[in-house]
Amino acid sequence: MIVLSIIQLTFRESLAKKTFIAFFSISTFIALLLLFALNLDVVDGFQSTISVFGKESSSTIDLREIIWGVEGGLAVFLFTGGLFMALFATSNLFTNLMQPGFVDLFVSKPVSRLGVISARFGGAVAIVAFNIFYLVIATWLILSIKTGLWNWGYLLSGILIVVTFAVLYSLVTLLSVLTGSSAFSLMITYLILFFSPLLLQRDRIYALLSSRIYGIIVDGLYYILPKTSELGNITQKVVRGAEVASWMPLWSSMLFGLAVFGLAALVFCRKNL
Amino acid sequence: MVAVETREISKSFSRGRVQALSACSLQVPAGIIFTLLGPNGAGKTTLIKILTGLLHPDGGGARLLGAPLGDVSVRRRIGYLSENHRFPEFLTPNQVLFYFGRMAGLERADLSDKIPRLLRIVKLESWSNVKIRKFSKGMMQRLGLAHALVNDPELVFLDEPTDGIDPVGRREIRDLLIELRNRGVTLFINSHLLSEVERISDEVAILDRGVLLEKGRIDRFLSQDHQVQIRLAGEGDTLPQICAALEVPVSRTDDVFTITIADDQQLNRIIDEVRKAGALIRSITPSKISLEDYFIKVVEEGGEQK
Repeated sequence: MIVLSIIQLTFRESLAKKTFIAFFSISTFIALLLLFALNLDVVDGFQSTISVFGKESSSTIDLREIIWGVEGGLAVFLFTGGLFMALFATSNLFTNLMQPGFVDLFVSKPVSRLGVISARFGGAVAIVAFNIFYLVIATWLILSIKTGLWNWGYLLSGILIVVTFAVLYSLVTLLSVLTGSSAFSLMITYLILFFSPLLLQRDRIYALLSSRIYGIIVDGLYYILPKTSELGNITQKVVRGAEVASWMPLWSSMLFGLAVFGLAALVFCRKNL
Repeated sequence: MVAVETREISKSFSRGRVQALSACSLQVPAGIIFTLLGPNGAGKTTLIKILTGLLHPDGGGARLLGAPLGDVSVRRRIGYLSENHRFPEFLTPNQVLFYFGRMAGLERADLSDKIPRLLRIVKLESWSNVKIRKFSKGMMQRLGLAHALVNDPELVFLDEPTDGIDPVGRREIRDLLIELRNRGVTLFINSHLLSEVERISDEVAILDRGVLLEKGRIDRFLSQDHQVQIRLAGEGDTLPQICAALEVPVSRTDDVFTITIADDQQLNRIIDEVRKAGALIRSITPSKISLEDYFIKVVEEGGEQK
């Protein structure tokens, strides 16, 4: 109950700062766009005409490809723009918590510090999960009802996006608890987010390195840091129903998130506030 | 029963360069108003922060209501008003007490009765649905006090509870604190408003540069040993003559004589002599100094010893 009230207050804080409403508005706008702008004329499982904002196209395309394509596009949007915005919108939740006079109100209550940090983290993830699933479920329902094609993989992509957010947010949490600066923690997290595609190309990087030790460092970074680029690819494959060759990027990223959150909790528990 | 017991608590900051508390040991009996006094930087807030779990001590320990310091469950029975509390500005007083009341372990149903009552006590009932970003410092302090009492605590830590509050408000808070004490609540207060402290405290402790200099009942500190003030009705010379005969030092301010006696027997002998001389005694009171004078004396003596 105590932990739940901290999560509720985190939600309330997000509402007051309009970040929740901004998320919700963008999601609603996209869902309405699909509801009114995309019109499909379906005959025997194939699209005979497709119109976007009233403009018709007569080329015959497999309906399944269109729907999987639209949903894949939305998943990519959520994985890139959505994650970027979500991290930005929630980055100050922990630096706010650490403010003298505010943190006192939580830590002096009958709840452990681990409970406080977990509830705050859970609140941030819940805010993002609510908005991502709102958009995913709304668009999934609209597209599925319009076409009769129910792509369960698209729903699964919502889970992957939320998990990726939680992994990256654990780093925001640790850096915020350590430095008290939301700008700094956000910069480092964005750096890692955008560093991932570079590390994915490490085979090409080896050729440019002068020493083997640099190769080991690049390899180490690849295995330790969250593999957002590969998680994005997995998300797309899941939406399209394609086979995922390896889930290693997912579980290793989750391990990173757990370890970093554990470290953040340890620092928070030992900190003089 | 002892509400607060600290055993040699020590705390330093800046890698040991600043010693905030040095082996601080004290006991606060339950059901009293206890005030911690000290100049700025004495370690008062550090001690309260350690007791409320915000700071970790370097050494020593403490028990609150019989439970060891790390026991978070005992905080259900404790209230805390921090010195610079910052409630989220987007909340109303109703919402502040609701969310933080829930965090204190209270049920929704309990809070629906309790919140209006608490807001009435701190005179914020007409502001209950106004966002607190519009509140003055005094109003925030009243809200902080309501927050500290939301869980009907047995022990309340108040760090500068009357800070920023006008004289009328201070009197109301004083009355509230006395009422809480009369109901058996233990109040552990940090304050630098010595006149306030003098009026309501049962016990005080004086802390300076992390060292506990004095602790005890306030009336013991303020009474001047062997000094008595005597007021006589319309009489000018009788008492000085009697004191001169008995070799008792006497001084006079307006119609009040201050005499320094060796013991109670000597005082009774003086009274007998005055009455025998036919003078009318209006009052006899033990001489007291103000808490401010006592505080300055103790801190200065403590400084000289160091």
